[in-house]
Amino acid sequence: MSDNHAEHEEHIGIPGYLVIFLILVFGTIFTYFSSFWDLDSIFPGANTLLALAIAFTKMMFVILYFMHVRWSSKTVWLAAVAAFFWLAIMFAFTMQDYFTRISGVFSV
Amino acid sequence: MQEVSAISGNSVPADEPKLNYINNGHTLKSWLLTKDHKRIALMYLVSVSAFFLMGGIYAGFIRLELLTPASDLLETATYNKVFTQHGILMVFFFLIPAIPAILGNFLLPLMIGAKDLALPRINLLSLYIYWIGGIITLWALMQGGVDTGWTFYTPYSTTFSNSYVMAVGIGVFINGFSSILTGLNFIVSIHTMRAPGMTWFRLPLFVWAHYATSLVMILGTPVVAITILLVAIERFARIGIFDPAIGGDPILFQHLFWFYSHPAVYIMILPGMGVISEVIAGFSRKRIFGYEFVAFSSIAIAVFGFLVWGHHMFVSGQSIFAGLVFSFLSMVVAVPSAIKTFNWTATMYKGSISYDTPMLYAIGFLGLFLIGGLTGLFLGSVGLTVHLTDTYFVVAHFHYVMVGGQVIAYLAGIHYWWPKMTGRMYSEFWGKISAMLIFVGFNLTFFPQFILGYMGMPRRYASYPEELQVLNIFSTAGASVLGFGLVMPVVYLIHSLFYGKKAADNPWMHPGLEWRTSSPPPTENFKEMPVVTWEAYDFGEESGLDLEDARKREAVTI
Amino acid sequence: MTAHGDTHEHHEPGLQHQFEDMHQQEESVSIGMWAFLAQEIMFFGGLFTAYLVFRWRFPMAFAAGSNHLDEFMGGLNTLVLIVSSLTMALTVYYAQKGNRTLQVVMIVLTMLFGATFLGVKAIEYTDKYNHGLVPVTGWNKKVKEDVSAPHVTEQDCTQVGHGDGDDHYVNPKGEFQWKDCSLVKLAQDHNYLTEDEKIGYFTNGEIDANKFRDKVRLFYYIYFVMTGLHALHMIIGLGVMLWLLWKAWIGTFGPKYYAPVEISGLYWHFVDIVWIFLFPLLYLLGRHFLH
Repeated sequence: MSDNHAEHEEHIGIPGYLVIFLILVFGTIFTYFSSFWDLDSIFPGANTLLALAIAFTKMMFVILYFMHVRWSSKTVWLAAVAAFFWLAIMFAFTMQDYFTRISGVFSV
Repeated sequence: MQEVSAISGNSVPADEPKLNYINNGHTLKSWLLTKDHKRIALMYLVSVSAFFLMGGIYAGFIRLELLTPASDLLETATYNKVFTQHGILMVFFFLIPAIPAILGNFLLPLMIGAKDLALPRINLLSLYIYWIGGIITLWALMQGGVDTGWTFYTPYSTTFSNSYVMAVGIGVFINGFSSILTGLNFIVSIHTMRAPGMTWFRLPLFVWAHYATSLVMILGTPVVAITILLVAIERFARIGIFDPAIGGDPILFQHLFWFYSHPAVYIMILPGMGVISEVIAGFSRKRIFGYEFVAFSSIAIAVFGFLVWGHHMFVSGQSIFAGLVFSFLSMVVAVPSAIKTFNWTATMYKGSISYDTPMLYAIGFLGLFLIGGLTGLFLGSVGLTVHLTDTYFVVAHFHYVMVGGQVIAYLAGIHYWWPKMTGRMYSEFWGKISAMLIFVGFNLTFFPQFILGYMGMPRRYASYPEELQVLNIFSTAGASVLGFGLVMPVVYLIHSLFYGKKAADNPWMHPGLEWRTSSPPPTENFKEMPVVTWEAYDFGEESGLDLEDARKREAVTI
Repeated sequence: MTAHGDTHEHHEPGLQHQFEDMHQQEESVSIGMWAFLAQEIMFFGGLFTAYLVFRWRFPMAFAAGSNHLDEFMGGLNTLVLIVSSLTMALTVYYAQKGNRTLQVVMIVLTMLFGATFLGVKAIEYTDKYNHGLVPVTGWNKKVKEDVSAPHVTEQDCTQVGHGDGDDHYVNPKGEFQWKDCSLVKLAQDHNYLTEDEKIGYFTNGEIDANKFRDKVRLFYYIYFVMTGLHALHMIIGLGVMLWLLWKAWIGTFGPKYYAPVEISGLYWHFVDIVWIFLFPLLYLLGRHFLH
């Protein structure tokens, strides 16, 4: 990953890894307990939204630090971003069909 | 490291055999365990051709059955299996691997100046996966085949069909990983293996096209893999998300299937466009018109190709809003293809064109792809499609793109690089005859199908009303000519292996890096690491490739 | 392949013939792995799309099905995987440092946590098997009818509470069992059924227990396919780790050559990430309905 062999010395080291680990553990526990709150009474889907936001944050920490993307070449960034971009295409363009099937509006 | 001595065009190699990738090792093991991309490409050539032959035989049966209005040659159930197997073999085992796995594998490292692809063992693995997937599929075909159509539409494929859907599905699933690995290898190689001086904008357009193809392969193929896996699980477990009886959703299958399978048609045409860019620039002896536009239009096709899949589903029950969005984007995706076509034509304008066999194929490609592409616009518009869906109009449209596009481009490429691949020249006379026969035969086969489709003849039926017989007879007659035209190259190309004239290192006097090594290339591709100091398609005088030299060459060869 | 072997004056260990130097090789391998991971993301992405579609159409069935998963086991497994990710990251760290002993220790720990994950998963699957929650007919525990037990009367499915009915559990064919449709009633009362649900759970305006069961069955089908595929990736990961353990044991890796550790790590972290999403999406839906 690193562009030269000296560079990996600059990675976060053991204390850094432990901090990331604690963040991930905290995120997991937080997701767990937040699921019992009735956030859906605020607006429908709020529970899921919060859970996904936490999951996404956890993923970013894993990708950036455990998988060393923060120190990686642009091509690696490109691969990671492209994958999620295409995933978004698949979600968005499939769901635009289902979201617009409300009877009498766009469907027959 | 020193600059490659430019051109050794007119020097016909001496008689003593040089060590090249073909005669470097003669044992079976040296082929089956090779890591050499050129040997893997040759093994792909043989395997893919075998599948092409099988798919072609099925096509022959289809055309023979349709010679008469009644269903007489084949039972209707058999007919269903025949067209399904024609589709599956041609799409998954011929069209998708044809140009990337054969020509791409062989030429990509040569064109970027590398010793091999970045991951040679992965490359060999992809060949083995192709074989395993192919063998499973063939086994299933021998057991009794499959009758769902190549699209495996649910719930017929999951609940009702009594044929070998699962076995064929698993064969296709496994085969998918072969193209994923090929694409992965190409992406990595293009990023990291370029020779010194080979910048992104000095890459031949063939390489750009393969980069775009690889994007689609990596990002699309896994989706169809998981979809077919779900179909297989559903057949096995008798429950699943595509079964409408318990609230499952067959439309979801179509979404997931076409998410890959529409971009997959770009897997089937983009590499062909790459070949055509090389051939047209080469035989017009001119730098391609608008290099950057052609390069980026490949990437644009790969990206926009993922946004239009719903135009296969206009009559499926997806929402009208979705239909409109997909229809609009289908019009948008036609733009980059049109840019390419304009630029190829503009490249030929005022070029010094020589009508060698590859160029004849390439010119044929231009016309056929134009028709195929424009009829695609008919099918991409929501209103017209209701009339044309599931008729022979659709069949004719995608054959114009797939056969008229990819197969013709594939043949152009095989002829163009045959001297490099084998070190032999084929017979130019027979090459030209076959190129013209294929063009005539192809049009005779498929043009009547546009009219048939417009008159309302549905696809996938063994019988049809009597008043449609005349056009069907034309079509079958054309198929015979086309079949004959396709057999001819097999004969004279194999003949050339043994009796053909020895090819010069650069028989066409073209500037690409692949022509600056010997024919056939040595195992390590280049004796010295090449350093690229020239732009792509540089036919300028300083390159030593000017027209006079080419004329001299013609005076020698003909 | 022999012809250019001599072009390398300084032949480094682990350098393959097609590359000029280690840097080129490392970059190629790393980009290759990331392209492979992009492929994996799309592979799981197909399943996530399916999840999304059915979650959108039948949210109450998904909430009901999710409430019967063991959120504690799921949470525990998430933590186990996160610890294994930490040890994996440390494996790479020690490989870069060239510390063989700690490398081996960390690989063994990673494998232990990976195996723990699979063990917990097996316990969960067994539990589903015993309670008739495997969506495939015949794959559940077959419980013969017990004549001495009090006869189960047809209950109103909206009255069945969480965990009820286990005492008189009868399932001779090993079919998927589901009796609880209290959530449908709840959603009907509060008027947040989706268009699909209004058709999908009702017959002639009455809540249809069988139709609701089918939708919950779809949730369990998706649950099993997703977690099963994830578990398969874990098993493959364990195989890779076994190979890595052997390589580390014989002292292959050091500051100059650790790319295999690095890319195995990428794979392991990716599998972890998939689970980070699976956990809330499968286990934590509609928990608040229970309290």
